[in-house]
Amino acid sequence: MWQNTKRVFLDSVEHILNAAAQLLPSVLAMLVIFIFTLVLAIAVRSVVRRLCNKLALDRRLREWGVAPVSSDSWASPTKLLTRISFWTVLLLGLFLGLSVLDTPVASAIDLRILEYAPRLLVAFAMFAIAVGIARVVERNVLIGAVNMGMQSARLIALGARWLVVLLGAAIALDHAGVGASVVPLAFGILFGGIVFALALAVGLGAKDLVARSLQRRFPDAGSAEAPPEQEEPRGGIHHV
Amino acid sequence: MSATSTGLSAVAESRAGGEILIALEAADRRSATDSAAAIRARLSERFSGCNATVLVTTAGTDPALVDPADAPDVPPAAPTLAGAAMAGQPSVLRTVLEEADRRGARAAALLSAAHDESLDWLGHLFQPILEADFDFVSPSYRRNRFDGMLNTAIVYPLVRSLFGRRLRQPTGSEAAFSVTLARSLLAQPAWRRDPAYAGSPAWLVGSILAGACRACQAWLGRWPGGAGPAEDASHALARIVGPWFHEMERHAERWQRVEGSEPVPTFGQGAALDGERSDVDVAALEDGFRLGLRELESLWGLVLPPATLLALRRAAAAPAGKARVSDPVWARIVYDFAVAYSVRAVERQQLLRSMTPLYLGWVRGFVEDVRELDADGTEERVEALCGWFEREKRYGIARWRWPDNFNP
Repeated sequence: MWQNTKRVFLDSVEHILNAAAQLLPSVLAMLVIFIFTLVLAIAVRSVVRRLCNKLALDRRLREWGVAPVSSDSWASPTKLLTRISFWTVLLLGLFLGLSVLDTPVASAIDLRILEYAPRLLVAFAMFAIAVGIARVVERNVLIGAVNMGMQSARLIALGARWLVVLLGAAIALDHAGVGASVVPLAFGILFGGIVFALALAVGLGAKDLVARSLQRRFPDAGSAEAPPEQEEPRGGIHHV
Repeated sequence: MSATSTGLSAVAESRAGGEILIALEAADRRSATDSAAAIRARLSERFSGCNATVLVTTAGTDPALVDPADAPDVPPAAPTLAGAAMAGQPSVLRTVLEEADRRGARAAALLSAAHDESLDWLGHLFQPILEADFDFVSPSYRRNRFDGMLNTAIVYPLVRSLFGRRLRQPTGSEAAFSVTLARSLLAQPAWRRDPAYAGSPAWLVGSILAGACRACQAWLGRWPGGAGPAEDASHALARIVGPWFHEMERHAERWQRVEGSEPVPTFGQGAALDGERSDVDVAALEDGFRLGLRELESLWGLVLPPATLLALRRAAAAPAGKARVSDPVWARIVYDFAVAYSVRAVERQQLLRSMTPLYLGWVRGFVEDVRELDADGTEERVEALCGWFEREKRYGIARWRWPDNFNP
């Protein structure tokens, strides 16, 4: 009895040790990949930080109104980019490291993630750029509309901002392969709706301005009143 | 305004002589030829010993000076009297300076349009250089009170307080200069460092006022440009005021040491034109100011200190027909925007265009103040504004040195 138990126990231990011995090179390879990935992630973070500092990215983005003016340097665009680049490299390395274990489930998951990750990253970058552009567009449209005397300037600026954000979101989702045909359809409906709202805002908020512009452009179109030969400056003042 | 006229009767005739070079920006070949002939005739009559050469400037990527008779097709000129030289375009001024240097001309001028022929405008323009050893003459014109408002509201008071010299119309692209000054300007490193900007009207006047050369101004009669094409206030602000903020950066060490201001020698009589219509729509100006405060206050918060924003809120809260930006607040606002331009608190074009409602708010008060005044009264009102710019200069210097401190 004791001999049988001992044999079974020793067989089990031998089996485990054999399995561990077979797995050990893979584990070692995984650990090497992890360490290499960590070093690479730190290097990438350093390169990204230096590049951002050289381009004065924080100042430029604040200047354009893309990044909020804040004394909190923790939330600066440079910090954000360095963190994103660090964790992206680290996560990709993690999945790469797991794939060397050569278990069927891990390999299948890793393969799909590694295939999908670049598309996801590009889509994310597209959306982030679109959000940045949207803020620049919003500020420009707001200033322009205020200077034109449009009472609904804020509404028009917001509309312009969301148009760009929606466009960016639709392109990013399309690139990431999310939503298939639903995305273009939803985007078309929303885009059309915002354009319609903007048209109403311009028409109602600046109808006099629009009327004057149309009258100048089409002087013979149904108006008995002769158009002025030259546009009268705002308030009757010649600024230059 | 009754400008002081400097007499030069005691100057010896014998000092006249040499070549006068005039670069003319003409609308077309025919008018260029006619203007050149008329100018030559008048100059030879006025300065008998001088040999006048009139050339026309050709626009394009490589500006050149050609004889109007040889000019194949002088392209229509843009209205350049008020300084329409665009950043990024090759400078016509440099071509004129080089030509004056090459010819060794005693005096040279860059002119834009036909002038008031009832006056001795050529005499006023060249006499200071040929007979009184001035290096630079800034042409000034009699204009309606509400024309050239950017000059009245910002450029004249600002330039005067910065450099301490009362050059009444420093915004024009016209100028007359001696060959000594031409050579000195050509030697400036700015042509190499910032070729797109060097040669612009603000660069020229800024270089002269910050330097040690002898500058004066000459009143050349009525403004020859007429009412001019209407230009949107925000575009005009960005185009005219931006280069002057740039000049503040260039000469920061110089202007921080200047206190007060003194008149520059003036030739000819200057005053605003009388009999002007006064149908300025102050309600539109006031609406523009209120709308700007409502929508752009958050943006202005990056530029203006809380005290100024509070003053603006109070101004906008006034009953209809009473809202206005006062002179001291306006002077501080201009300094604050100059600082924001320098530190790039907001993208520069956005910053300058966002200043428009504030400018309209000040103009609204100015129009109300001078509506019933004559030319002299209007000039006194402008003097009062300039006084505020000079008094608030300490504030401007403090903001410039410590831009992050909103309560100097």
